[in-house]
Amino acid sequence: MTGAWPLPAVAAISVLQVLGVVAGGPLLVGLMRKVRCRLEGRVGPPVHQPLLDLRKLARRERTRPDQASWIFSAAPVVLVATTLVIALVAPLLATDPAFGWSADLFALVYLLLVGSVALALGALDTGTAFGGMGASRAMTIGALSEPALLVAVLALSVPARSSNVPTIVARSLAHPAWLATPQRLLSLVAFLIVIVAESGRLPVDNPSTHLELTMVHEAMVLEYSGADLALVKLGESMRLVVLLALFADLFVPWGVATAPGVGHVAVAVVAIAAKVTALGIALAVFEVAVAKLRLFRVPELTAGAFVLAVLAVVSALVVP
Amino acid sequence: MTSAYSSTLTLAAGAVLICAVVVLWVTSVRSVLRVVATQGFALGCVAMTVGVHMGDAGLMATAAVVLGVKGLAVPVLIGRAAGGAPDRERRPLVNVPASLVASAALIVVAFAAARGVATFVGATNGALVPVGIATLLVGFLVLVSRRRPIFQMVGLLLVDNGVALVAFLCTAGVPFLIELGVSLDVLLGVVVLMVLAQRLRSEFGDLDLDELRELHD
Amino acid sequence: MVLELILALPLLGGAAVAGWRDHAARWLAVATNGATLALGVWVAVRVVRNGPLTGAEGVLRADALSAFMVVVIGAISLLASWLGVRTMALEVAGGRCSPRRATAYGVLVQAFVAAMLLAVLAANVGVLWVAVEATTVVTVFLVGHRRTRGALEASWKYLVICSVGIALAFFGTVLVYLCALRAGGHSASALDWTSLVAGARHLDPSVLRLGFALVVLGYGTKVGLVPLHSWLPDAHSQAPAPVSALMSGVLLTVAFYAILRFKAVTDAALGPGFSRTLLVVVALSSLAVAASLLLTQRDYKRMLAYHSIEHMGLVALGAAAGIPLAIAAVLLHILGHGLAKSVLFLTSGEIMAAEGTSRIDGVHALLARRPTLGGVFGTGLVALLGLPPFSLFSSELLMARAEFQVGLGWAAVAALAAMVVIFVAVVGHARHMLLGAPGPTEVLAPPPAWVAAPLVAGLVACGLIGVFAWPLSGLLHAAAHVVAP
Repeated sequence: MTGAWPLPAVAAISVLQVLGVVAGGPLLVGLMRKVRCRLEGRVGPPVHQPLLDLRKLARRERTRPDQASWIFSAAPVVLVATTLVIALVAPLLATDPAFGWSADLFALVYLLLVGSVALALGALDTGTAFGGMGASRAMTIGALSEPALLVAVLALSVPARSSNVPTIVARSLAHPAWLATPQRLLSLVAFLIVIVAESGRLPVDNPSTHLELTMVHEAMVLEYSGADLALVKLGESMRLVVLLALFADLFVPWGVATAPGVGHVAVAVVAIAAKVTALGIALAVFEVAVAKLRLFRVPELTAGAFVLAVLAVVSALVVP
Repeated sequence: MTSAYSSTLTLAAGAVLICAVVVLWVTSVRSVLRVVATQGFALGCVAMTVGVHMGDAGLMATAAVVLGVKGLAVPVLIGRAAGGAPDRERRPLVNVPASLVASAALIVVAFAAARGVATFVGATNGALVPVGIATLLVGFLVLVSRRRPIFQMVGLLLVDNGVALVAFLCTAGVPFLIELGVSLDVLLGVVVLMVLAQRLRSEFGDLDLDELRELHD
Repeated sequence: MVLELILALPLLGGAAVAGWRDHAARWLAVATNGATLALGVWVAVRVVRNGPLTGAEGVLRADALSAFMVVVIGAISLLASWLGVRTMALEVAGGRCSPRRATAYGVLVQAFVAAMLLAVLAANVGVLWVAVEATTVVTVFLVGHRRTRGALEASWKYLVICSVGIALAFFGTVLVYLCALRAGGHSASALDWTSLVAGARHLDPSVLRLGFALVVLGYGTKVGLVPLHSWLPDAHSQAPAPVSALMSGVLLTVAFYAILRFKAVTDAALGPGFSRTLLVVVALSSLAVAASLLLTQRDYKRMLAYHSIEHMGLVALGAAAGIPLAIAAVLLHILGHGLAKSVLFLTSGEIMAAEGTSRIDGVHALLARRPTLGGVFGTGLVALLGLPPFSLFSSELLMARAEFQVGLGWAAVAALAAMVVIFVAVVGHARHMLLGAPGPTEVLAPPPAWVAAPLVAGLVACGLIGVFAWPLSGLLHAAAHVVAP
């Protein structure tokens, strides 16, 4: 498949993907905030406000806890770097991105996992009560949601007979009938729950709270400041975009460019932007509609996602 | 997934299993009853689909009986056993996330264990046999991990529905007269359970079953 | 017609109890059970001479095995309903139970007997299943009759565990049905015993294996075999004595009868190896559980219940041997155990009513204080422990001989070891209850003669069968060949 794509096109697509994710992340967060505010009857900050925040933070002085080691400063970098790798290799725009051979679904899920673990380690490294509490809560949620994600995508890989994400996308584009099978629906639901849990949204976590009883993610990043905090925020928003884009890729793959050509890629850019925006808005609306789950109910949600994902795999194996 | 028959059958059988998993997920009696009714309905649909496909009038009649008994009568009776009180499974012996993960393992076990029968039956029906066995195993899990009388009744019902699903898929059900006897037994069993649950409540009040420790060695 | 009549008799008795609510109606019910016994004997004689009978358009069928089970059910239901009149009279007089509930009790007991008769007379595994499930549903309220906390707990456990077991048995039945259909059976007749055995060679071995294992596990629940035995001691200790007698004396063996029927099909299809392995495993583990729990018993009704688990283990081991000699011995054991165990449960009910406790350490010097009850209880235990001249001695001996013949000698030796442990345990408990010196002022009235008579008669019958088995030998021989041709 690599043969069909000229090198400059691949390079351009890669650059587009990475740039899109880096710029799109903060914009998506701003958009979702705006939607929430509108629904709650407030005006809300402009959509590009997170970008301005990042710029402001980047110029601020960074302070570090006395006890913190190099892990504390490395964690945000690892978070951003792993997400960038996913953005580079995932078939967001075309079914044959650069290094597409490495975009194995296991590799992608574990890259996501490396990011979360790095952040949790960074939080633990501060030695503060909040850091430890946030890390433990985040790991409680992640312990089941990461496997659920893995298994949900595995269900999609069964009919495609490949665990390579670009191949899965290409084959589902070739067989649209696959998209309406029961296993698809099951893994779709599982995937959605995982997105909510992983990106720290309601009803799992409230990104805008600083209430010690309920915060998960905010507790972890409490000690970060300045450029470190900017990196963390950037990394988090990029993760959200990547998750949503992967979701769009796997379940509604139409628009992804299967053949080289400026036109195809332009369609793909528009398509992915539209899909991610729509998903983001839907997520924001959903957030307004639901109340936060009590923390000890969250594992039930992620365990449910896990079971659904297992069901999806099993039915994919049984009902070809 | 070629014909309408096999996709309808897959959908209905899948709904039976998903209902079983959802029983593990919910904790309030009212929602669990809704799930049980849905499952009975899905089971009736399985029987009806197989019956229509095979042109088997006895099985269609069976399906009607199943719809009436398991989709309607049994949930209503269990609801009466609950007495309308807002009841919840507050502290299951195995908590919800753990039992959900365990059910995932059970589903895999069911598919491994049923391979022999599945290939023997063949076709879509055979491929779906493990779904019935998985429902049965999840029923066992509910029985051993839930402590409210209502939830144990529901566990029994899951076991029963799992076996019935296997029967519909493998043999297009047992002959109609026997099926009538089976349904009657199930119904009477549920009535007896209901009366017992009411007696338990009037005798012990709000009770978790593992607090019954009068008899032991 | 006679088969329908056998089924109708206990129902008529039940209707009489429900309609008249009178003491006389209860005696009428007892009489119907006596008539069932008489008809059973008549059917047995006919079947041995002329071959199987059928009835109700082929739904009912009586071969030698069914006829034998009808005789067992008739005999024990006669004993139990006779003493049931006494139990209910005492309960109502003592204000522990309203007349209404006594009536309900009478009706349910008759329905219970009818369900068991249907189970053994069914020509069809599906009907058998429905009947066995019906026995569970009917007996739940009998177990919970006293409505104490313990009785409620026992009946809940009983219903839940047995329903699970019976669901597994249904699963097994469905798999066997599947095999039969695939082997070319017609859906209406594929579940009949005769066609299953006749077409056994064409059944798919792997699915049949799974089906038989589920049947053993499922019906084994109602037999009280490990692993799903835990309901048995609770239910037997909480139920009124006549119900315990019926459950322990016949219900367990009716469920075992179902296993024997499926075993005949499985052995014809797969050879005896598979069912033998399975039954030896459950038998030995049941024996081990019974032996270990009997040692520490503090309640004499529970002691009797665990003793039933032991005997069901022995019966399963005998059936594992599988040759006609073994099956005949198993059937003889079923009859002897039924008689002795129901007499013991009924006596324990009398003891409990007189002494007010079911704890072993609450009862002492019975032989001196209540010679009739103590004597019957002690003799019954002697019979159950397998001492001569009672029939359990000869049946255990025959089973052991058959086991050695088929190379299961090691299992027989293991069973013997468990029986020695049980012997020591039971003798220890019995010594405490029966022997000792009475207090100086204790003058106690013996039970009336009409109560003592059936108890003594039951034991005498058990002894007579042990000494003179010849009236039964033709029937046992024919029944054994139904299972092991």
